[in-house]
Formats: sequence, structure tokens, C-alpha cells
Amino acid sequence: MISVRSLTARHGTFAIHDVSFDVPPSAYGMIIGPAGSGKTTTLETMAGLIPAVSGTVLFGGRDVTALPPEERRLAIVYQNAYLFPHLNVRDNVHYGARDPAAADDLAGRFGVAPFGSRDVRTLSGGERQLVAIVRALSSRPEVLLLDEPFAALDPRARAGARRALRAVHAEHRFTVLHVTHDFDEAGSVGDVAVLMEAGHVVQAGPPADVFRRPATAHAASFLGAENIFAGTARRLGDRSPDWSAGTASSVDEHAVAFSVGSLTMHAIGDALPGPATAVIRAEEIAISREPRASSIRNQFGGRVSEIVPSGAITRVTVDVSGIPIVAALTTRSVDELHLAIGSDVVVAFKATAVHLC
Amino acid sequence: MNTPLARRSGIGQAATTSVFAALIGIFLVFMLLPTATLVLSGGAEGVRLLGRDSELRGALALTLGCATAATLLAVVGGTPLAYLLARGRFPGHSVIAALVDLPLLIPHPVAGIALLLALGRQTAAGSVLAALGTRITGSATGIVAAMTFVAAPLFVAAAREAFEQVDPRLEGVARTLGDSRYRALRRVTLPLASRGLLAASIVMWSRAASEFGAIVVLTYNPKVASVLSYDRFTASGLNGALPVAAVLVLIAIIPLVVLRALRPNHPREISE
Repeated sequence: MISVRSLTARHGTFAIHDVSFDVPPSAYGMIIGPAGSGKTTTLETMAGLIPAVSGTVLFGGRDVTALPPEERRLAIVYQNAYLFPHLNVRDNVHYGARDPAAADDLAGRFGVAPFGSRDVRTLSGGERQLVAIVRALSSRPEVLLLDEPFAALDPRARAGARRALRAVHAEHRFTVLHVTHDFDEAGSVGDVAVLMEAGHVVQAGPPADVFRRPATAHAASFLGAENIFAGTARRLGDRSPDWSAGTASSVDEHAVAFSVGSLTMHAIGDALPGPATAVIRAEEIAISREPRASSIRNQFGGRVSEIVPSGAITRVTVDVSGIPIVAALTTRSVDELHLAIGSDVVVAFKATAVHLC
Repeated sequence: MNTPLARRSGIGQAATTSVFAALIGIFLVFMLLPTATLVLSGGAEGVRLLGRDSELRGALALTLGCATAATLLAVVGGTPLAYLLARGRFPGHSVIAALVDLPLLIPHPVAGIALLLALGRQTAAGSVLAALGTRITGSATGIVAAMTFVAAPLFVAAAREAFEQVDPRLEGVARTLGDSRYRALRRVTLPLASRGLLAASIVMWSRAASEFGAIVVLTYNPKVASVLSYDRFTASGLNGALPVAAVLVLIAIIPLVVLRALRPNHPREISE
């Protein structure tokens, strides 16, 4: 369990202010944020490598804020591995190992055992990173801090390293906090996502919530939302049953009309009347050739203005009354619908897919 | 295309190259000619003299012994300071760094006078030395003190640079793996800085062995090699000093060669 409370620290030009979040015991937490948002400074302050100006860090309920790094029972893996260049691979792996035999076993699982006697300066970037991960895990930490650990790995090695890490994590149940600027990675791995921006926590919670319901337009943009519209929200009065996202207990969610230009879309949310931003993920938008009778409240006619294939997914931009709406469709669907630039289509998305912030 | 402009630019480049070559040539001749002439004129006689001149042998032994003692003192006292200056950011950091460099900037006889004032017989430190059976003047103690005072700043500066070459994150990683600050220093930083520290010691030792100005104020006798060469020069002129001087130059070449062989072994990891 990691609990960070109102943590403030400064390191060179980087600073973090009033950072708070929790990662439950044995969970896999992600810190996401653009370069310079204070992710690494947060990790290093948690590790005790940067002194905290104020706030507290608790690991498993134990206040470690004043403890030196060696007493925090954690390990850290940086993007640049930071292997000890005067030691070979095996000596790096054994450096902080509680049990050398277990360390050798881990080296085998991550595929670094065969080059145990090699000078670490002769390793590739990916190999160095794997050695750094094994070295960290060999110290049997209660908290594992990962700072973009897979950035230097090619996609295959990355998938393998992730798999091996997940397996070790499942066995040993330590708590992980993984820093990344790659929101795909964050969405696919974590139990908890912490979104940072300019040294502050912008949002924290389950990754699905953070991704689907970003707190700010900037956060939405960073998280890869392609449809972000500034407009005006207006409450529609009573909740309408087919718009309701949840049970009757979600009393503060209301049907909302959101207008952008001449377009008015339906949304569910707790937005106050007035200026607001609507975020709709491209994956939530469907395209058809004809309007369909369904419970989907938002259906708009438009014309295809751009088609960008990218492997199995194709992004189709539809101009709806001058507003570009991007939909992510399977490439196969695009083919089956015979979509081309200039095609007249209908875009459809549920009111619940419209997140207002 | 050979346009007038291109021709002019070509001529300009050739002229600049010639000026550079001439400057480099003149500078190298100026730097090498005196010592080369000295070795060529007196080197052979100096080596022969080593066999029969016991005063010269004694002066050399005293010089090398005192330079080694001064270097050991600087390594013991200067290494923690160099590490602190490399790693620490504390109030007064730049003031301390500047003060350590001060002996490099003052005339060396002035350094000798300062030492005499601070460690002379009338001072508290002088009394301590007297209690230990030694004194600052006319003794090996004075020679070692003078050598340490004028040459240790070179050690501290080079050792600080050696520590700065070791990425502090390597120490940080070692600490998260269970090392205390001092254990990480011993297991990671010192091994990685070792070549730089050895090079710093050699620079210090060479500078200490060649010191004259501060020593001559404190201790004319017993004579170190530099004082002996000066003594021979004043007593017998150039011919008397030449072989001794040539031997000193030849001895100075040894650390120079060792230094060249000590390339950095573990350059800092590249940070992106």
C-alpha cells in the first residue's frame, strides 16, 4: 500500500506541490503525465533520494518520510537502467539481493542469465533495462518504483518484460508505482492511474475512470481523446431513464444538453450550466450510412472529410455542421461501409459517452 | 564552381590555417625548447652524477619522500572535502571551494610566510609540533607542510571532478538496494572515481615534488631537489646546476607518462 499525502519537494528546476494519491496493497499504480510534469521527482522523493519539503509518504501504513532510502524497503528502476559499470551483469543482479539463488532464478525468467559474466557496458539498451529490473526485484522490495522502465525496449522485448514482471508481481504481491508518459501503457497495465501535470496531481483513480472522465480538457488531450469541444452546457431537468448512466442512487447526474456551434448533443453529467468542455473518445463513436432507430440519443448527419488507416484501426473524421468528429473504426468496417472522403454518413454516440469537464 | 567569391573564401581559409599553424608551432617551441635543451645539455651528466653525488641522491630521496607524505595527507584530508564539494549543495559551498583554491593563486614564497606565521614556534600549532618533537622550519615537517599547502588544492579540484563524473543516481540506486550512504560511496562511487582519484594524486605528487618557493622560506636545509638545483646555481653557476636540473626534468616525465595512461575507465552513463 502506498499513501502519498500533500507531498511537496523541489529538485533543480523540477518541483512537485501538494501531491496526494493512494495505491492499494499489491496493486499496480501508474503515474501518467507529459515530460516535465514531476513524475520522476515524485518517485525520487518517495524513494528518499530527494528530501520532501512537506507532506508524508506511507508504505504499508509505515511513515517512511524521514527514513533514509535503504530503510524504505523499495527498489527503483530508471529509464536509463543505471547499472553499475564496474560490475558485470551477475554482480549487478546480486548487488542488493536477499537471496542470490532467487536472484539467479529471476535472471533466468527475464532472460538475462546467459550473459551473467558480461561487462554491462557491452549490453544493448533493452538488455540493460532487463538487468536493472532483475536487480531491483532481487532485493525483494515491498514497493517497486518504475520510471519508464520499458522505454528502451523494442515492442517484442517490451511485451516479454511486461509479462515477466506481471508474473513476478502476481507471485510476490509487492506494490508497484510505474511512471510513464505513454497512456496506452497506462491503460493496459495499471489498477490505479495518477495523472500529473506541472507538478500537481490532476486526477487519480481507476484507469478506466481517468481515461473516460478526464478532469480537464488538457488532461483529456494528453490522454489521447480526439474529440474535445468547448461549448455551453444546459441542464435538461429530470433525469430521463434511457439517458441514465447508473442506478437511481446517482442523484447528482443529470441529463445535460451541450451546444457547440450549431450542434447540440445530449450528455449525462454533473456539469453546472455554462461554459464547459465535452470529451468523447473516438472509440465510443459509431458510423452508419443511414440513421437508425435506437436508444442512442446523439445521431448526426455529416460528411467524411478524412480517413487515416493505422493497421486494424482506421480513424474517420466526419464534418458535422462544421464540427469535425473523429471516430475510431475497425479497418474492416470502413471497407464494408465503403467509406470514402465525401461519403454522407451518420455519426452516433450515447449520451453516456459524452464526458463534460 | 570556381566563382570569385569561392576563390576568395578558399584563400581566406588557407590564410587562417597558416596563421593557426604558425601560432601552434611557435607556442610548442616556446613550451618545449627550454626543457629539451636542458635535458640534452645536462641529462647524461645528471644520470652519471646520480652515481657519485650523495647530496643529490639525498635531496631526491627527501623530495620524493616528502611529496609522497604530502600526497597521502591530501588524499586522506582532501578526498572527503572533494566529495562534499562534488555532491553537496549547502550554504557557503562556493566560498569553501574558492578558499581551497586560494593557495594556487598566491605567490609561493608568500604561502611559505603564511605557513611560518600559522605554524611557527610562537604559535599554538607550533607548540603542538614542538611537543611532537618537530618544528616547521629546517625540517622534513616544514617541507611536507609547504608541499601539502601549495599542491593539495590541485588534488581537491581533480578529485572533485572525478566524483562529479560519477552520476549521483548510481549512488541513489545503490541506496535503494540497501546500502547506507557510506557503503554506497565505498561500493559504487569510489571504485568508479578511482582512476580519477589516482590521476589527481599524481598531479598533486608532481606539483609537490617540484615545489620551491614555499619550501625555501621554511627549510633551506635539509635541501630538497629544487632547492639543491638553486643552491648549485648560486654557488657554481649554470654548469653546476645543469645536471641536477636535468635529472629533475627527467623524473618529472615519469608521472606525465603515467597520467597519460590513466584514461577515464568508466565514463558517466549517458542520460537522455
